[in-house]
Amino acid sequence: MSLDQIQPPVGPETTASRIPRKRMSLWSLYTRRFMRNKPAVGGIVIFVLLVLFAVIAPFIAKYDHIELDFLNLSTGPSAEHWFGTTSAGNDTFAQVAIGLQRSLMIAVSVSVGTTVLSAIVGTAAAYFGGFIERGILLVIHFLMVIPTFLILALISNDAGGDWRVITLILIFTGWFFPARVIWTMALPLRESEYVNAARYMGVPGMKIVMRHLIPNIGSLLVINFALGVVTAVMAETGLSFLGFGVKIPDVSLGSLIGYGANTISSAPWLFYFPAGALTLLTVSMALVADGLRDALDPTSAAGGQA
Amino acid sequence: MIKYLLRRFVGWLLMIVVATNVTYFLAWAFLDPRSNYVGRRPPLTHDEVTQLLAPRNLSDTVPLVQRWWDWFSGILFRWDWGVSAVGESVNEQVAYRMWISAELVLGATILTTILGIALGVYTASRQYKLADRVGQATSVVTMNINIVVAALGIVLLAIGFNDLVGARVFFVTGSHGQDVTGFFPVILDTLQHLTLPTLALVLVGYAQYHLLQRTLLLDNINADYVRTARAKGLTKQKAIRKHALRTSLIPVATQVAFTIPAIFTGAILTERIFGWNGMGRYFLDTISKNDVHGVVAVAAFGALLTAIGAILSDIAIVVLDPRVRVS
Repeated sequence: MSLDQIQPPVGPETTASRIPRKRMSLWSLYTRRFMRNKPAVGGIVIFVLLVLFAVIAPFIAKYDHIELDFLNLSTGPSAEHWFGTTSAGNDTFAQVAIGLQRSLMIAVSVSVGTTVLSAIVGTAAAYFGGFIERGILLVIHFLMVIPTFLILALISNDAGGDWRVITLILIFTGWFFPARVIWTMALPLRESEYVNAARYMGVPGMKIVMRHLIPNIGSLLVINFALGVVTAVMAETGLSFLGFGVKIPDVSLGSLIGYGANTISSAPWLFYFPAGALTLLTVSMALVADGLRDALDPTSAAGGQA
Repeated sequence: MIKYLLRRFVGWLLMIVVATNVTYFLAWAFLDPRSNYVGRRPPLTHDEVTQLLAPRNLSDTVPLVQRWWDWFSGILFRWDWGVSAVGESVNEQVAYRMWISAELVLGATILTTILGIALGVYTASRQYKLADRVGQATSVVTMNINIVVAALGIVLLAIGFNDLVGARVFFVTGSHGQDVTGFFPVILDTLQHLTLPTLALVLVGYAQYHLLQRTLLLDNINADYVRTARAKGLTKQKAIRKHALRTSLIPVATQVAFTIPAIFTGAILTERIFGWNGMGRYFLDTISKNDVHGVVAVAAFGALLTAIGAILSDIAIVVLDPRVRVS
């Protein structure tokens, strides 16, 4: 359904009073469309619960995530250790909470970083055109050929598992593919009247990009952000699982699953809990992204009426 | 058309060459082959290590530019990708491991594509019916399960199944059994090793093609030319098969072609979990062993896959899209 179909009929006397109300109704329209998508609502509930868990659990846990309980080595879930312990005596509950916190932190910062960077580069390429556009596209294509996973592994291996370094390189290797998508979306905007008007009024190019192009692909960016969280979680977990990412004493969901994989038949709870948390995190965020797409994209028929 | 493809091919070749050379310098910035000899008993002196590394073109006493030229001319003139710090030939390693990975990735790619497209067509022609809703929900979930979790979950299930049956039906590690001979035993053995990792790759991979194909087909079912075909008396099924499917396949084919390198990265994790000695394992080994030449060879392999994917997608577009052939 397109937006114009749900706007109230406009009489001449309502035009003035309509302007503030229209802005409100757009937001409530988005919320309403989003809320109608039950899986998406479920996704956001799960995501919020996971964030709450990551924030609160370290305070209610009986043990610190690096504290060792030598009386309970590699024991299953119990009243004392809710998620069991590792063979060294670490409390898995505390570890999963900290690991989730770390993974979330990396994922959200990476997604913010790549979205901002790709939006600026992609729209700038579309707006300026000419040799700037060709140059940016050449760089993007070139970066697509270099196996980014290898660069990630090389640099993070060298950095010794510092999560801030991992975040930075995930941003660096993650921006160019979305930038290419955004470039194609922004191309038609280059020719639009309001951009032309701004140009003839003498507004500098970068200002037009920031003020007119980027807000107009805002909905795409919001969806990109949600999907970027999923991608970043996946990348970070993969790296940490292989031993290139976050390293002891720091833990992330990936490194926890890595330890769990070694004891999968003798101590499966070391795998179950971090794997469960990871799956809930990625699936919930994907459902949210789905709901956002339905709510924000006016051409999408998936949202149903209004 | 041949000329167009040829021009694309040369462009990609140039990209691969540049990317590989950049990786060479990157690898030298991060890896130190000398560290392979640290902690040897009896300890080796600096000069002794240099003497070992120099004939392998891995000694940092030689200027980087000269090392690079020796390495690059070796590839150019003799197709020799160099040796590791302990003297293993990169050519031999890649030639052997490439096929192990291909065995896994090729099968998984074909299965993933067929399953994804078939499901997409099936659910699109039953939009909003039960099969469509169930299929979509399943796909959103499986698509967003991490490959590590999926693979380890399958390992757990397979161990449970093996215990239940009381025999080792599925093998959880390795790509081949030892001392298996004869035509049928080898095939059976390969299948026993191949099933689980392939299942893991297909499980996390099929959904993106399913959802993409479904969306595209739904967009095309209402297009004018399909309606014209229907008006001329074709049944809905036939109109979809003959007209809508063809155009909606183009973006899917492009997507499939471009995910080939991504499947390869996914296979790094799968190979690690299932203990396969393929390119993924080689990738991990070369980084941990500071094997500069090996790392660069893996990078070149990855770049080659990207290029193959891109060219395949070009060919697919030319074959599938009637509008391209005119120009």
